[in-house]
Amino acid sequence: MSSTRSTGPSMWGRMPSCLVRLFGAALFVVATAVAQVQNDRESTVGMRARIHELVLPGSEVTVKPTGHDTPVVVRITAKRPHGDAFRYDLEWVALEVGSHDLRDYLARKDGSPLEGLPELTVEVAAVRPADQTEPVDPTPIRPENTGGYTVQLVVATVIWIIGLLAILFVGRKRKAVARATEAPPTLADRLQPFVAAAADGSATDAEKAELERLLVAFWRERLELEGLKADRAIAKIREHDEAGQLVRQLEAWLHMPEPPQAVDVEGLLAPYRSVSAAEFDESRVGVAAGAATGVGGRRA
Amino acid sequence: MTAQDAPATARFTETREFLAQIRNRVNKTVVGQEVVIERALIAMLTSGHLLLQGVPGLAKTLLVAAVSKAIDLQFSRIQFTIDLLPSDILGSEILDQKTNEFRTHKGPIFTNLLLADEINRAAPKVQSALLEAMQERRVTIGNENYALPAPFLVIATQNPVEQAGTFELPEAQLDRFMLLHRLEYLEPEDEKEVLRRNMKLGVRREGKGAVARTEFDAIEDTMRGSTEKLVQAMEDVQEVHVSEAFLEHTIEIVNRTRNHPKLELGCSPRAGISLVKASRARALIHGRDYVLPEDLFALAEDVVLHRIRLTYEAIAEGFTGPQVLQEILSETAQ
Repeated sequence: MSSTRSTGPSMWGRMPSCLVRLFGAALFVVATAVAQVQNDRESTVGMRARIHELVLPGSEVTVKPTGHDTPVVVRITAKRPHGDAFRYDLEWVALEVGSHDLRDYLARKDGSPLEGLPELTVEVAAVRPADQTEPVDPTPIRPENTGGYTVQLVVATVIWIIGLLAILFVGRKRKAVARATEAPPTLADRLQPFVAAAADGSATDAEKAELERLLVAFWRERLELEGLKADRAIAKIREHDEAGQLVRQLEAWLHMPEPPQAVDVEGLLAPYRSVSAAEFDESRVGVAAGAATGVGGRRA
Repeated sequence: MTAQDAPATARFTETREFLAQIRNRVNKTVVGQEVVIERALIAMLTSGHLLLQGVPGLAKTLLVAAVSKAIDLQFSRIQFTIDLLPSDILGSEILDQKTNEFRTHKGPIFTNLLLADEINRAAPKVQSALLEAMQERRVTIGNENYALPAPFLVIATQNPVEQAGTFELPEAQLDRFMLLHRLEYLEPEDEKEVLRRNMKLGVRREGKGAVARTEFDAIEDTMRGSTEKLVQAMEDVQEVHVSEAFLEHTIEIVNRTRNHPKLELGCSPRAGISLVKASRARALIHGRDYVLPEDLFALAEDVVLHRIRLTYEAIAEGFTGPQVLQEILSETAQ
């Protein structure tokens, strides 16, 4: 039975990398503290700065009373005993440019001299130019147009409307032109080849059926019966003098097993051999009026 | 002489008179429903089945009862309800305690004319049992197969309103009905005639009491047409001439339903068969021995409409089945 061993580096093997990491962390802390100290000791005129955890040896110190013309205002915000000394949190505001020693604004609480206190120099810089003594002009400055949302909205709306108009009109115009150039055959045009085939006896069953449908449609349209159901329209057509005779003859020819008498197909369809679309349209009004009054329309 | 004026051949004369007698007799009971009577006769002559759809009170049941009494046919009526079982229709085997043997009890489906009232109120398994029997004309009870009597016709009714608690017949089952006729309200003149007839019904004495007579009591129970004549009429339907041009028209309509952009489901081949069968029967009823396109157009709504289904888009655009069908028929007649 075999045991499993760790194949990773031993504790001694990992030591150098641990030390490097430890050193790095210590260096980071020191550098951060120094930077903090540096920052705590620098400020600009009128800007508040803080010094934290400042250990001052000797007895407790306090802030000296100052007047209105003091160049630096110091305040002790917290103090804690620190062995024989004290730890302080200071807050200071400089009102004049230059270097200032904060010790000048501190005093022992018990009235003893400040001997043994380390130097507490702070640097104060000015933000405004040295020759500017007047306040900044208070005239408001119009801010730059940072958003532009309204403009964007307007632009987007205009583009959208242009796109919509293009979709609505540009494509359709082309289609309409195409449709105009390729006009579908009229009912009269469609009728001609079937009438010709039926008249010369060469029509197939499908063509005969199509012919019947077209002739019914022809008269349905001519008598303006499109609004009626198909069976009622046929019944109406049957009542019409000319159309009724045609439909009955067609039915005898196409549907009766033994027509009582031979149907003269050529003669029956003769009026429809040469009917043109224009002639058909012209005759529509007259025939419809005739149908309404029970009078047969003129022959196509 | 034209086709319309041509006399029917001699062999159809007797049949035509028989059918006219039936129509007249039913018309004595039912007012203003000539088209429905014609559809019932078509269904009877072609062994198809008829579904009548209409709001309550349009004399659907009265019509079927009148038709059954006009001809010497056995008549059963089943009121479909939610708790109906297939065995309530088909029948079942029961134990005869005298002989200790199972005896077959045949259900009401063993009749010539079955009225399935409010068929959409029954559970799907009951509808399915009935529709299978309609299709096969045979019923299995226990291990035995029983042929249904001939002729066998189901006239079912359904109410298009009050859909709560109903089970809509799916298209596949609707297809079993050769015709689905939608009844409409009567014309004012016909409705007035209904009221006049109703006022004359009076009361019927029963023992010491009396009850108000209904239209069912007024159905004439004499001079029934014989089953033999009905069978002869059914045979004559088979002799009605169907031209090639008529078949072309039929195929055109059926194909247009299959390719129409507003239709999700077009007509089955059974629809085409039904159109031709029904047209032949209609031609015979109208005294012709040949069919005409007007038969096709007149029957298209009843034969085709329940076999097609609109697309979602067409429904969303507000189109209805009758509108689309009229569109197809108008295009066909163009």
